[in-house]
Amino acid sequence: MPVDDDLWSAIGDPTRRRMLDLLLTEGGGTATSLSDHLPVTRQAVAKHLTVLDRVGLVRAETAGRERRFSVDEPQLARAAAQLAAVGSAWDARLRRIKRIAETIERGRTPTPDSGTNPAGPGTSG
Amino acid sequence: MEYGTLERDIHIEASPEVVFDVVSSPEHLREWWPDTLEGTTQVGEGGRFGFGTGEGVKWVRFTVVDAVPPRLFSFRWMHEEGETAQEGNSNLVVFALEPDGTGTRLTVTESGFREQGWAQAQVLATYEDHYSGWGHFLERLQTYAAKVGA
Repeated sequence: MPVDDDLWSAIGDPTRRRMLDLLLTEGGGTATSLSDHLPVTRQAVAKHLTVLDRVGLVRAETAGRERRFSVDEPQLARAAAQLAAVGSAWDARLRRIKRIAETIERGRTPTPDSGTNPAGPGTSG
Repeated sequence: MEYGTLERDIHIEASPEVVFDVVSSPEHLREWWPDTLEGTTQVGEGGRFGFGTGEGVKWVRFTVVDAVPPRLFSFRWMHEEGETAQEGNSNLVVFALEPDGTGTRLTVTESGFREQGWAQAQVLATYEDHYSGWGHFLERLQTYAAKVGA
């Protein structure tokens, strides 16, 4: 499914993330019920719902006069997994940075207990 | 979870000065990230990272945005050749360093996925997964050790 960019953009907006949170905790909602909890109009909420619907993050069913939305959890999990992949790449890089920096630190301070110098490393070496 | 901006941190038992050098100097950057690096890490300058080797190498541009030793180092990357790096055409990576006990708390944030679509970042993350396997790492370590010994 070539929707990655749209999916990313859909969940990149803070109001839409808040809406997803609300839909998850409330087990679903309508544009009206969501706008009661948000500092935006019902019309704005409806527009955001259209964006979320288009990328498959929410599903709609008709309930009386209004459409009721709920989160498509597999699609949300997929979006989260994609972000986690980028995150784990950074975790690996940070571990390498740590290993390199600590090796250098051990090499330049053979006696770590022998008095700290608040002015920094000075001009040694 | 904040989508669109990624944040990670780690405690390092080394001074901020040492950590700053490791995250910002081309020599050390090559040890923990790209296979090759062309250019400089002076503010306003940059160059390109190379991932992979030989025919399969993938080049990605970077431009250094800010450097305040030993507290902050930031750069933009993934802008197209010939474009000036700015919001919307590149991702911003910021390293923030704070003294933490006898060491340093290093926090990295990467933002821009939302603006530029994140497919490109995903490609690179996947690429890195392939190339950060043990075989590749050991090979690089040996090359590095040989250079240091020479």
